Order: sequence, then C-alpha cells, then structure tokens
Amino acid sequence: RVPQRCARSGPAGAEDWLLLELQGEVEPRQGRALPGSLLGDLHYTRQGVPVLVVGHHVLYGKLVPLEKPLAVLEKRGARYAVTALVRTKLLFKTRPKPIVTHVPRKV
Amino acid sequence: SLVIRGEKDEQAVLCSKDKTYEMKIADTSNMLLCVPGCKTPEQLKADEESCDIIHAQIAGFSNNYWELRRCRPKLKKLRKLLMEDPYEGPDSAKDEASATSKYTTEDLLNVVQASEEEIMHQLQVLDACQIEGYWRILNFDYEVKLLNHVTQLIDSESWSFSKVPLNICLQELGPLEPTEMIEHILLSYGRKYTDGGEVYFEMNEDKICRTTAQMLLQNAVKFNLADFQEVWQQSVPEGLTTRLDQLKGLALVDRNSRPETISLLKVEDLPEDNQERFNSLFSIREKWTEEDITPYIQDLCAEKQTVGALLTKYARSSMLNGVKVYNSRRLIS
Repeated sequence: RVPQRCARSGPAGAEDWLLLELQGEVEPRQGRALPGSLLGDLHYTRQGVPVLVVGHHVLYGKLVPLEKPLAVLEKRGARYAVTALVRTKLLFKTRPKPIVTHVPRKV
Repeated sequence: SLVIRGEKDEQAVLCSKDKTYEMKIADTSNMLLCVPGCKTPEQLKADEESCDIIHAQIAGFSNNYWELRRCRPKLKKLRKLLMEDPYEGPDSAKDEASATSKYTTEDLLNVVQASEEEIMHQLQVLDACQIEGYWRILNFDYEVKLLNHVTQLIDSESWSFSKVPLNICLQELGPLEPTEMIEHILLSYGRKYTDGGEVYFEMNEDKICRTTAQMLLQNAVKFNLADFQEVWQQSVPEGLTTRLDQLKGLALVDRNSRPETISLLKVEDLPEDNQERFNSLFSIREKWTEEDITPYIQDLCAEKQTVGALLTKYARSSMLNGVKVYNSRRLIS
C-alpha cells in the first residue's frame, strides 16, 4: 500500500519477483478456494531471517540467491515473453511450528 | 521473445532470437509460489521509517519449472529439407511439377529446431538462395555449370582471381543463365567489394579447388591418391594451386593402404548427434589420428569446448607406430 522505493534491476520491462518455496502443500481453509485466500504473513527479523506465519503455524526460512535466475514467461500467441525475473527465493524447509497462544497453568 | 520449436516426434527446444536451448521439465516436491514485487530484507532497509503492511499478491504457484541448457542448433534438418528439391536451373522441367518440397523462411522457422539467426546464418553457409520466395540449394551439377561459366570467363578475359568485375560477368553470361544465378554463384564463391564505384569479387580459390575435387571424387568409391592429385591439379582453372588441406571435411586420405587412396567423405552427411557421429566415424575407420578426425568433429564442439575434450569423452587413445591414435570406447559392429 505504501509505495516503497527499491532498486530496480533486470532488463527493461521485466520486473523483479520473489519466489517462496514451501515444503509440502498449502490447503485452503474449509469451504474456501485457493485463489483469493490469504496465505499468511511474511516478516523479516532484524537479522533478515524470513518468518512466515500460515494459519497457526510459524515457519522459519532463509534467503537463497538463485544460482540460475528464473524467468517468468507469459504466453502471447505462439510465443513467450519474459515478464519477470526471479533472482532470490525465500526457502522454508524447517518444520512448521504450531503457535501456542495459551498455556494453561497447572491447576 | 521466446519460442518453442519442434515437431511431435522431436524433443522440444526453446529459441531466443539467436540461441537454442534444450528444454527439460524439472519437478520438485516443494511448492513454488511467485510473488511479484515482494521485497527482500535488503530492499526494505532502504526505508527505515515505514512500518505499514504491504499487501502482496501471489501471482501463481507450481511444482515444476523448465530447465534450459544451451545446445547446438539442430541444423542438419535444414539441409535435409532443402535437399529434397535442389534447384536445377530455369530450364529444368522439374520445378513446374513439384510444388510441395519447397520452403519459405516461415516454413523453415516452423520446423527447424534453431533460432532465427542461427537458421539464417546456416542458409548462408549452405549457399542457399531465395527463388520466388522459396529457399533453394543448387543441384551440384548446376552449381558446377555456373561456376565453370565464371572460371572460363575469368580465363578468357585474363582477369585476376581477386578482381572479377560483376557488371561484365552479368553482361557476358546473362545470355546463358539468369542474372540472379550469376550473381549468386559469384557471392557463393567470392567476396564482394567495391573499388572506384565498381563491384568486384575476390574469388575463393580454395573453394573452387574444393568443388573441383568433389566433382572428381563423387564418381568413384576410391581414387589412387597420386593419380587423383594429378588429375585434380589439371582440372582446376589455370593459375590455381591444389592442396590436400583444402579438402578437410570433404575427403579422407588413407595413408596406410598401398597404394595410398582418397575417397569422398562429407561431414554434412554424418549424424548430428555426438555419439552417433563417433560411432559412424569409427565404423568407417577403426583408428584415427587427431589431425584426420578433427574436421569431422569440429562442428560438434559446444561453446568453449575443444576437440580434445570431445575425444577424451567419446574415444580412447593409444599409440600406433609412434603416433597417437583414437579408437572407439565401445564395440562397433
């Protein structure tokens, strides 16, 4: 929402996208479709560690620069145009930890 | 922009304007989500102030992606297609009849697995020309006929091979052949330049000698080397000198037979795939010196790959009479 200035890299016309790599599958909440649903919240710690909160799970990840950048292609007729480049991915491969908000005291 | 090329029975390749890549689908058990404009910590540091939430949308997700590997353009097919109907000249009745085996630039782009630039460059290498919108290769006999017209004119006019005037060629040979063909043969066998406002051609003497050799060699399976060299020198236009190194990739000399022999072996007739090429070469001759085999594997080298690297991969070396030779790594039936 708030415009953030950031360095524009990549060939003219191709944007910079980021890749989020998650282990396993993402399922929408009951009764909902995947498109349009909220995946979760992405945070970065002060050390730059990406933290993803999905549902009641928290996943810790790391920034991995891609050895070979990925190009996002858009089909235009019988040809493909490069619309974006991905040079970095956020890899989440640790086990999601459930967030427990209330631990009852031993009675 | 990029385009995927290939017919149903071929492995797909992705082509840019000037490069060709083999395509493979890479599967991952992980989920890959693409997020346009999502910021990295580095990018966010630039603006310490704002703590607002950025609403980012996931554009899409996938379990696989395409992996590309740069490869040699698959150009053997180009020659094969053009050889379906070589141009025999305007007098040939053939052209009227067959309308199917002719290809426009568009046709070739649809079926040849290579980038446009690589295809256009190869058309030049093949000395192909456009006749009525179709790309054609000359029938060898017709090519020789056109070349002979030019060399005979050079001889009768006592021109230097490095200064052949275009306008006089068109004037003198025009009654015999279409002017486009005269100009085409000059372009195929010479380098065009201007001097004092006039267009001249510096003839490629090696190429003329090479074509003469091909003409002689294609009529026999093998030639006695000494006899061949004599006839060859006598057959080339006055003033040209024949040398065996002009025949690299065209003919193979056998120095181990008695008498020594020479036979036609064109690199363009050999398989395009690396392993198949080596199999083919080793079935023609069991042991090769590096010098002899190089012209027949040079075109297999990828960018920055050497002939030596290819030999290490596909052949086994040994010594024979003090000379290093290469033979097959596997049994050739």
